[in-house]
Amino acid sequence: MPRVAPSTFSQYRTLLAKDLRQEFRTREMLTSMGIYALLVIIVYGAALALTAHGVDIVHMGGGLLWVLIVFTSLLGLARSFAREKEQGCMEGVLLVPLDRSVVFLAKATSNILFMLAVEVIAVPLFYFFFMTSEPAAPTLPFIVAPLLVGTVGMAGIGTMLSTITSNTRSADVMLAVLFIPLIYPLLYACVTATTAAIAGTEFWTDFFVMPLVLACGYDVVMLLVCWVLYDFVVSA
Amino acid sequence: MAKKTTRVPEAGGWPDAVAVPALIAGAVLTTVGFLMAFLWAAPVNGAALSAPELVGDVMVTHQQLISQKIFYFHMPVAIVSFVALAFGAYYGIRFLMTREQRFDTCSRVAMEIALLFVVLTMITGDLWTRFEWGVWWTWEPRLTTYLILMLIAIAYFVLRNAVDDPERRATYAGVVSVIALVDVPVCFMITRLIPSSIHPVVAREGGMSPDMAATVFVVLAGMMLVGYGLYRLRFREARLGERLQALKDMLE
Repeated sequence: MPRVAPSTFSQYRTLLAKDLRQEFRTREMLTSMGIYALLVIIVYGAALALTAHGVDIVHMGGGLLWVLIVFTSLLGLARSFAREKEQGCMEGVLLVPLDRSVVFLAKATSNILFMLAVEVIAVPLFYFFFMTSEPAAPTLPFIVAPLLVGTVGMAGIGTMLSTITSNTRSADVMLAVLFIPLIYPLLYACVTATTAAIAGTEFWTDFFVMPLVLACGYDVVMLLVCWVLYDFVVSA
Repeated sequence: MAKKTTRVPEAGGWPDAVAVPALIAGAVLTTVGFLMAFLWAAPVNGAALSAPELVGDVMVTHQQLISQKIFYFHMPVAIVSFVALAFGAYYGIRFLMTREQRFDTCSRVAMEIALLFVVLTMITGDLWTRFEWGVWWTWEPRLTTYLILMLIAIAYFVLRNAVDDPERRATYAGVVSVIALVDVPVCFMITRLIPSSIHPVVAREGGMSPDMAATVFVVLAGMMLVGYGLYRLRFREARLGERLQALKDMLE
């Protein structure tokens, strides 16, 4: 019986399943990211303690939420490749004759899933602790769109950068130095769209649709660039 | 099968011979442009004021008309920084294609020039911000995107310092230089996409009068020559250093 090379999609599925299984067994990433998110919320509590009634939480909420997401995902992204290196897993994956961009897609997908899982817990918590003092705008559910677009872009860029920085000295700092400037346009657009959805004022779609379209465009461009360049990075 | 040879840049050819004259010519042109900006180019739309006056709904002072002269340096310097970044990314791609270390040297030197001009743009822009808008800093879209560009350029060198293996360092640097280039169109288009931006789109607002355009052109040509001259000199220095190191290694 002739051996059939596994399809690209089944390679992708295998790599993704490997990441997820590893996570379900150790629960390392989700626990650390979840606790970190909770700690950031507590720090917010201290930072806003004296201003809680005076501050315009409706217009600050979107920004604070994204600060929480950026720092939590930074933590997760730094771990995602450090773990592969500790176990020598990356060498094993690279020995397999597969297209390197599949490695990128699988890793980016697992990072997206972890970040989304943390957001599912952190966003309601954030709402519970800070936003209940104001009546919720009817447009509030729309924050799902910028959250999704932002997470996809951040996971894509972050996967690429954490591959680079996992081979450098002081990897964690290096990741932040590269990650935050590169996601900035995305972050700016997502904060604008999120704030528009939370505030839900009369012309909120003006501040929602356009930034969201720009964020999607940045996602597409960045993911394509990362996807093309990943081969060089991971083989170096 | 004949191996396709790639031409690699080398120091010591004719480009180095013209580097110093280019630098001097660039300095002269920039000086001429400086004099033109203050002595020849008229204030915007021929305005002249002896005392603060209300133009449209805006209180305009003489100081603002003079501070507008920064424009003649601000924009050319920004354009040169974009060009230098483009060259950095171009040589970065060439390195990734050929694995020839010398392209990495070119890319690094181009990024150094880019960083220099990015910082110059930030300085001229910040002075202008202070006199035109009355604040040292505002989170206006183009200012912010340009700040990001500067941070990426700095991160490029931080990354280079954090990797020991030359081959790996060159690969990562090439990749980051390409990603940095993605931010250039973002930076360039932002005033067109977000119209509330205080930065004017010059072409949309009726263009420049001939005397303004001529001044900008002279300074731009001067800055380009300065950038080119610096690039060649720095490249020659880096390249000679590499050759010296190679010779030392051979002797050992």
